[in-house]
Amino acid sequence: MSSKFQFELVALVIFAVVIAFGVPAVMNYDGFELNTFARYLALAIVSMALALSWGVTGLLNLGQAATFGMGSYAMAMHLKLRASSGLPDFMSWNNVSELPLFWVPFNSLAFTLLAGLLIPAFIGGLIGIFMFRARIAGVFVAIITLAFLVAFQLLVINQQGLTGGQNGLTGLAQMTLFGWAFDPYSMGFYYLVAGCVTVALAIGVYLTHSKFGLVLRAIREDADRTRFFGYNVANYKTLVFCISAALAGWAGMLYTLVLEFASPTYMGVSFSLAIVIWCAVGGRESVIAAAFGAIVVNMLEGRLSDIFVEGWHLILGVIFVLVVMFMPRGIFGLLVEGAQKLRTVGRARPGHAVEPLSTTPLETNQER
Amino acid sequence: MDVIANQLFAGLSMASILLMIALGLAIIYGAMGVINLAHGEFVMLGAYVTWALQTHVGIGILPALPIVFIAVALVGLIVEKAVVQKLYHRPLDTILATWGIGIILQQLVRLGIGAESRFVKGPEILSGNTEIGPLIMSNYRIFVIFFSIAVLFVTWRLMTRTEFGMKLRAVIQNRDISECYGIESKRIFSITFAYGAGLAGIAGALITPLFSTIPTMGTGLVVDAFLVVIVGGLGSLVGSAVAAALIGEATALFSIVINDTLGRIAVLAGIILLIRFRPRGLFPTETRR
Amino acid sequence: MDRLQVTDLHVEFGGVRAVDGLSFSVREGEILCLLGPNGAGKSTTLDLICGKTQPTGGSIHLDGVEISHMLEFRRARRGVGRKFQVPSVYKDLTVDENLSIARSKRPGIWSALTRFALTDSRETEQILDLVDLGAKRSELAGNLSHGETQWLEIAMLIAQDSKLILMDEPTAGMTIQETERTAEIFRSLSANHSLIVVEHDMSFVRSVADRIIVMNRGAMLAEGSIEEIEANEDVKTAYLGH
Repeated sequence: MSSKFQFELVALVIFAVVIAFGVPAVMNYDGFELNTFARYLALAIVSMALALSWGVTGLLNLGQAATFGMGSYAMAMHLKLRASSGLPDFMSWNNVSELPLFWVPFNSLAFTLLAGLLIPAFIGGLIGIFMFRARIAGVFVAIITLAFLVAFQLLVINQQGLTGGQNGLTGLAQMTLFGWAFDPYSMGFYYLVAGCVTVALAIGVYLTHSKFGLVLRAIREDADRTRFFGYNVANYKTLVFCISAALAGWAGMLYTLVLEFASPTYMGVSFSLAIVIWCAVGGRESVIAAAFGAIVVNMLEGRLSDIFVEGWHLILGVIFVLVVMFMPRGIFGLLVEGAQKLRTVGRARPGHAVEPLSTTPLETNQER
Repeated sequence: MDVIANQLFAGLSMASILLMIALGLAIIYGAMGVINLAHGEFVMLGAYVTWALQTHVGIGILPALPIVFIAVALVGLIVEKAVVQKLYHRPLDTILATWGIGIILQQLVRLGIGAESRFVKGPEILSGNTEIGPLIMSNYRIFVIFFSIAVLFVTWRLMTRTEFGMKLRAVIQNRDISECYGIESKRIFSITFAYGAGLAGIAGALITPLFSTIPTMGTGLVVDAFLVVIVGGLGSLVGSAVAAALIGEATALFSIVINDTLGRIAVLAGIILLIRFRPRGLFPTETRR
Repeated sequence: MDRLQVTDLHVEFGGVRAVDGLSFSVREGEILCLLGPNGAGKSTTLDLICGKTQPTGGSIHLDGVEISHMLEFRRARRGVGRKFQVPSVYKDLTVDENLSIARSKRPGIWSALTRFALTDSRETEQILDLVDLGAKRSELAGNLSHGETQWLEIAMLIAQDSKLILMDEPTAGMTIQETERTAEIFRSLSANHSLIVVEHDMSFVRSVADRIIVMNRGAMLAEGSIEEIEANEDVKTAYLGH
């Protein structure tokens, strides 16, 4: 087991313990505060999903918000149907007289939960196959995913009768599972979200330290070379896109549960950018760091936007530019470099041979 | 038939605006390999400078153009020196940094001037329409179309006929060797970036009578302009012009058949397909690195 | 049976015929050296065999199967390994991780998903000892010296264990001792691998080559043992001019 893997496992356990016990205690088990924190946790999942494709594989997916939105809408559609007797209200306002066919299966919770994961995964897979079979890489991945995001959001807003348009889906019921209604301000609900984040992170940590993750890092550095070792690079990239999309969908479902509505702004360019910012601030190489980044930035936003109501976005922009320029590896990079310095100091003492913590510089190889 | 003719003209007008925004982007990308996502905000700055000149100083759009060009080019120069220059070796990161700069500029304007939309009057001489049969063309739009062609021509001359253009092309082909011959690639890049920003500013000035001037006006434009650059073939000026015409017209014509939004979606889908099958664009240049 | 059979291979780049009607074969367990002046088409020939470049004409058979239109990874899976002229190891990965990528007996996704990145194996250890990198297993490949990088890439090809290994200037930048060591390794490899080696160092060629092909302007100029080649008048002309 490599030292990096041990490091991340320890980090994962600490993370799980802190959000399970520390956070609720600090917040005095206050339902409102916990709901806010559950929102950050849901966003942590989408940030770590981006770390898998961007940080590990070098595929800058600017359309992550689209798959997040799909999950969010899947959940909202189910809850909307639950809340409506007959046709959802916005449909009748838009002269839709019958429930559209694609809404019907969302009556089932089981279908909804699956769809929230599988629809994003399927779409992510399609885009992946479409791009990676043709060996589209580097900047073009960013542009295609961005164009997809813009088109998708336009479509959702345009089809008002089917999607609620600009208003999104509001007036949702609470989810009920085995007779238990999910009150988003309850402890039980907080633990549901916390459990989801922990599981998602465990999946992410496993993936990055499996042979699969190693091949992904090899692809980031030199996709062509990797082909000559017999790896089907296009399939690897496509799968990581699928996984990342499914995780984003999962995050989206939780987000709808937390906020009790779904909005097309979740599929906007600025939301997608926000995800990139969280991931960059935390550290794109590590899924835990990326999740941490989402929580930190959102907590800051929560605190600072009260103080600087107007200036918060300006501050965020400045932080982001500074991080990209001077801290390209994010908070994670600072920690790793700090640890390395400590070890070098330790090594200087005789009889204290320590294996260096291997690190990954971030100069990703880019095909143009 | 009337509808189609008028839409064709609307498409051409759209194309001329896209072209002017895309030109700056194309030069910056072609020369430096930098995807400048703050470009939309340069357009927005241009619009606000024009508005400020008109409301506070009383200078109309046309005489304001040189001032706008210089002002926005200066902002571009500062951005280049402070940020972009540090990231030449990390192209994917320049996307992020310039995106961040875009946010900063947008927020600065929102905080300083306000989020509500501002209006700028078009020039008096160009008010009114020219009518040819059923085709009704606004004089101002006709002017913008010709102006964009002129900008294209000037830029092309600049790249092919001046010493600066020659140096720039040398740097694009081989940076290290050019440096050996005493060409300071850093300076060349700074100037190129500033020029590209200045063009965006002019585009912003010219669209003020056509669009409402708000802090977020650049965001939508930059995506479209980018697609123009990529469809045209990165770094190719002629390619950008053709692509701008294609995309402008396609959007205009699609919106007759289906509605505006669906038309835009169809165009986006078409562009995604085009990038997939011709990733180097319609007019790929041979000289890129 | 021949391991590799190349028949009437052609490729053009913008009107220039880089490889022009080349035919040759490589037997099992043979080391074939490709010689020729710069621009003779040696590296291009290797590119065509491993799939980096698509031929415009002709055929390539590996163990009797036509591979000339297969994607690179399929050829690699069938047993074609390639070392490039510029050492291309993964600089951001450790030596161990580089070898783990190279050991690609099961390159499929499912197998990669169900396995940890680094599984301690005696095989890896043996290979690393062979090239003297045993002590640097957890070093980043980017921190290795030029010579070590060359060794690492050779180690990766040994780990890949391809039936046919294509080596482009494997000894470039190596000291005399290192070159001799490489020759030794190549000879031991040839027991159960076939090798095609592009090389300029004649003493190295002399010590490893079972057979030599001299190329000029994309075509075969001469073929034979080292003695035959050294006696060949055409070869002298091609190298020395008139």
